Order: sequence, then structure tokens, then C-alpha cells
Amino acid sequence: MRGLPAWLWILLVIAGVGLVPVVMTDAFFLRLFTEALMWIGLAITWDLMAGYVGYLNFGHGVSFGVGAYATALLIVNAGWPFEPAAALGGVAAGLVALISGWPTLRLRGAYFAIGTWALNRAVMQLALVLDITGGADGMRLPAFLRPQFFSWVMLGVVGATFLVLWLLLEQAPFGLKLKAIREDESGSLAIGLNPAKLKLQAYVLSAVPAGIIGGVYAYWITFIDPASTLGDLVTDQAVVMAIFGGLGTLIGPVIGALLLFAFKTYFWAYLSDYQVLYLIILGLAIAATVFFLPDGFWGTVTRRREGRRALQKGMALAHFPEK
Amino acid sequence: MLILLPQAIVDGILLGGIYLTVAMGFSLAYGVLHVIDFAVGEWIMLGAFVGLTFTNWFHLDPLLSLPVVFVIFAAVGWMLQPLLQRVLSGSRGRPVLMALVFTFGLALAFRGSALTVFGIFTHSLNTALSQGSWHVNWGSFFLTIPLIRLAGLVYALAVIVVLNYLLKKTDFGLAVRAVAQHKEAAGLMGVDIKRTSAAVYGLYVGISAMTGVFIGAIVSLNASMGPDLSLFAFFVVVLAGMGYLSGVPWASFLLGLIQSFFLIYLNPSYVLLALFTILYGILLISPTGMFRKGV
Repeated sequence: MRGLPAWLWILLVIAGVGLVPVVMTDAFFLRLFTEALMWIGLAITWDLMAGYVGYLNFGHGVSFGVGAYATALLIVNAGWPFEPAAALGGVAAGLVALISGWPTLRLRGAYFAIGTWALNRAVMQLALVLDITGGADGMRLPAFLRPQFFSWVMLGVVGATFLVLWLLLEQAPFGLKLKAIREDESGSLAIGLNPAKLKLQAYVLSAVPAGIIGGVYAYWITFIDPASTLGDLVTDQAVVMAIFGGLGTLIGPVIGALLLFAFKTYFWAYLSDYQVLYLIILGLAIAATVFFLPDGFWGTVTRRREGRRALQKGMALAHFPEK
Repeated sequence: MLILLPQAIVDGILLGGIYLTVAMGFSLAYGVLHVIDFAVGEWIMLGAFVGLTFTNWFHLDPLLSLPVVFVIFAAVGWMLQPLLQRVLSGSRGRPVLMALVFTFGLALAFRGSALTVFGIFTHSLNTALSQGSWHVNWGSFFLTIPLIRLAGLVYALAVIVVLNYLLKKTDFGLAVRAVAQHKEAAGLMGVDIKRTSAAVYGLYVGISAMTGVFIGAIVSLNASMGPDLSLFAFFVVVLAGMGYLSGVPWASFLLGLIQSFFLIYLNPSYVLLALFTILYGILLISPTGMFRKGV
């Protein structure tokens, strides 16, 4: 089985996951399934900026929210069908990233984190005061009650995102270039890279899938308001998932998203009287991860494995994951 | 409209005085510990709630809780700082960003705790000064100065005088300035870096919490006000220039003035939108602050 190329493995896994909605048609299960996929998508796109480029984007919710609102506006006000509307939601998020990224990406370190956070709060305030977005009351979309359809759409979007990111970050030189920026931005400039351009490409690349996911979310949930799409919690959860799973890898945020989402679901099912406890646990989870597992769950596990394998083979630590 | 101008200016200055104290502590913590504390707004919020609890238990004026609040939170900050130090140091990559994520996690946990313990409702702190105010009539101009806001300004000035004395005249202040300038060298000269850093963080947390009591008395308090206050603190600190203490007063008063002018002359629901947009704009135009003296 080792002869199969890695991209085929990824496609097989995605196809295998795609069979799940065929077998499990329970509406509640499909809802969880779709939402878990959504968080995977948000976590890996956040990790693209944080783990590969080294920029903490505390405004990732902007892409999600802009995508959701653009899709909702197109469907409700312009009467567009869902698919092109969601695609245009992605384009809208990409455009916002392109326009805001050019100045924002000049900021470094903590300034970037503060700047993107301020941008997120400003966009949320804008959605609250505008008439077209319905203000705090939010927007209602026509209901399309096909849970299976949405689970496949979400899987398609997130699976395609994973595959594209995997090709670009792990296979193509693009990922190495981004890591060069993470390690030393001036150094990457010195060896002939163009950090400004690369960062902008990565920023747009992380925004477009988040925007499409936002669009799918809007049509799936049929109701959006500023708090649920542009609120801090969207970014916060993606941040925890990516950091808990392990920054700088693609599989880490996926695992982090699954673990955290499973926890969240159990939590809401059994402890829903204490909803705000979730915030406490979320916060402590971030703090404890940074404190005890700075490499994240996946990073800690794989490093140990690599160390063990290296001992068995009697050779130096492998720095590159084998294909 | 012109009639309200003196009121807008005075309101802005009084409001700005409140932000001044938080931003001072924040700048100090950043200058010495190199930590961007995302939980600053949560410290303010928790301080306000401890003040409220104190008032409800002992039926005393909230302003009397200030020393208690300071002692509690200074102790918490003192005990928390070693954890922060561990995140900042060691062999991890990007320690500053990791510390930022760490305080971000703390902020979430604090907000959740406050929501659990104190609920979602908005409270206000009633002090003996809340009702009183001074009225000034001057031709067709008039001015109302609520006493509690004046007390806030007095508190801010007192904090600055004490901080100034501590930093410039005492051995502790010398140690703080030495650590801020060069940590290793300060350690070699016999400064206890761990204790000094813990004390600075405790001082900053204590001051922020005391400010919370004033914000609770002047405006109101609820468990989810933290993020906005954090962004106000960032606003002041970024505008002043990160780590540049002398710029902080100007930036604070500017923030107060922007807020009061928006409230009086423009739509109040646009205040936050305007502030966050301006903060974003400042970061883009001059990330080292309006004096270009930040780091």
C-alpha cells in the first residue's frame, strides 16, 4: 500500500469521509458532521497564516463573516442561486483580504495581531450599524432543508482546501518560501524572495476558503447575525484548534479541530446549563497548550515517534516527513 | 452645537484620564517584561466586579474598596508572572507571540469565569460621588462636571505621581529601569530579575483593577466588556508608541476626546466603529505611535 502517492491517499480519505452521510442519515449527526468539517476548514486556513507564515491573524472571522454576509445578500436581495453566491462569498472575502492585507501585512508580530483584531471588531461594528445587513437582528435566508447536501458541500469545500493547501505548502516550493518568512523575514528578502508578495498570497489564500465556508454556513444555518459570524468566538475557536493540534502542519489543526469539536459537542450535550463554562475551558485549553505543549498535540506526538524511530534505525533525527 | 463644545472637551479629558492609568501600567509591563497582555480589559472588568462584591458585602462606598482591589490583584499578578515568564523564555520559537496567545487564553478564561459567577447583566457602582456634580454657567456656555469623573482624574494623576516617584526615586525603580534596559546586565549587577518582573506585573494588574472600579462607577460594568477595554488600552498604547511612557497621557486624552466628540456630535452607535477604524489606521500609518518613539 505504500506505493500509492500521497495525493491519492488524501483523495481516498476524503471519498471515504464522503460515504459517511450515505450510511448515517440522522439529521443531528449530519449537523455535527458538517460543523466539524467547517471547523477543520477554519482551523487549517488559520494555521496557514499562523503556522507557516508566522502571523497571528486575530481577524480570521472577517473572512468567514464577509463570505457569509456576501452570500446572504446575494441570495436574499439579488435572488441568486446558492452555488454561485457562495463562490462569490469566497471572492468577496478574498477581495477584502487583498485590500486590507496590503497595508495590514506591513505590521509585524504583536502589531499584526492587534491590527487584525481591531479590523475584526470594526467590521463587526459595521455589520451592526448598517441597514443592509439587518444590524443586530441579522439576516434570514430561505431554508433549504437537505442535511446530506450540506455535508457533501462542506466536505467538498474543506477537502478541496486541504488538498490545495497540501499541494502548495507541503509539495510546492511555496510552503518552503512561507516558512523562510516565518524563520527570518529579512533573511528571506536577502535570499531573493519577495515577502510582501508571498504574505499577501498566503493571506488571500487563507481568506477565500474561509469566505466560501462562511457562505455555506449562512445557507445551511439559514440565519446569520454579527455575533455568530463576525464575533470573537469564530476566530477564537479556530485559534484554539490550530494551536492545540499543532501549528505549522496541516494534519495538526485537523486533529485539534476534531478533538475540540468532539469535546464541545459533549459539553453542550451534557452541561448545557453551564454554557459559559465553555469559555473558561477554551481559555484554559489555550493557555495550558502554550504552557505545556508549545508544539501542539500533533507536534508532541510525532516528535516522540520520530525520536523513537531514529533510535531504532540508529540514525539522526529525520527533519523531513517521509512521503 | 457650539454650546456643547466645552462640555465635550471636559468630558473627553475626564474620560481620557481613566484610560491613562491602564495604559501607563500596560506600557510599563511591556517595557520591562516585553509582554503584550491581551487580558488587560479582563483585569479591568474583574477589578470592577471585585469592587462590586465588596460593596454588596460590606455596604461601604465602592471607592473604599480601592486598596483591597489593588492588594488582591497585585498579589494575583505577582503569582501569575512566573508562568508568563516561562512561556516567554526557554527554547520555544516565537516567545512573544506565544506569550500573547497565553494571555489571550487567560482573557477567555477570565471572561468565562466572570460570566459564570456574576452573570450577563450590567451593573453599576454607586458611590457617594455619583449623584453630585458641579455646574458652571458662563454666558451662554454651560458645563457640568460629575464629581465621580473628577475623582477619576484625581486618581489618575495620583497614580502617575506615585509611579513617577517609584520609578525615578527609589531603588526598586532603578532596578525596574535597569531590567527594562538590559535584562542580563541588570542581573549581573545584582538586580533580582524575577522579583522585579513579578512586582512590575503585579503593579500593572493592581492599577488596572483599581481603574476598573472607577470605570464601573463612571460608566457601568458587565462581564463581557473586557475586549472593548483591551482595544481601548491598545489604542492608547499604540498611539503613544509601544513602551514610550511620555506619550501615554496625550494618547489617552485624545482617545477620551474622540469618544466624547463622537457621543455628543455624531451618532453614538458609531463610536466603537470609529475607534477601531482609527486604531487600525494608526497601526498602518505609524505603528510606532504618533511620536514615532515606540518600539
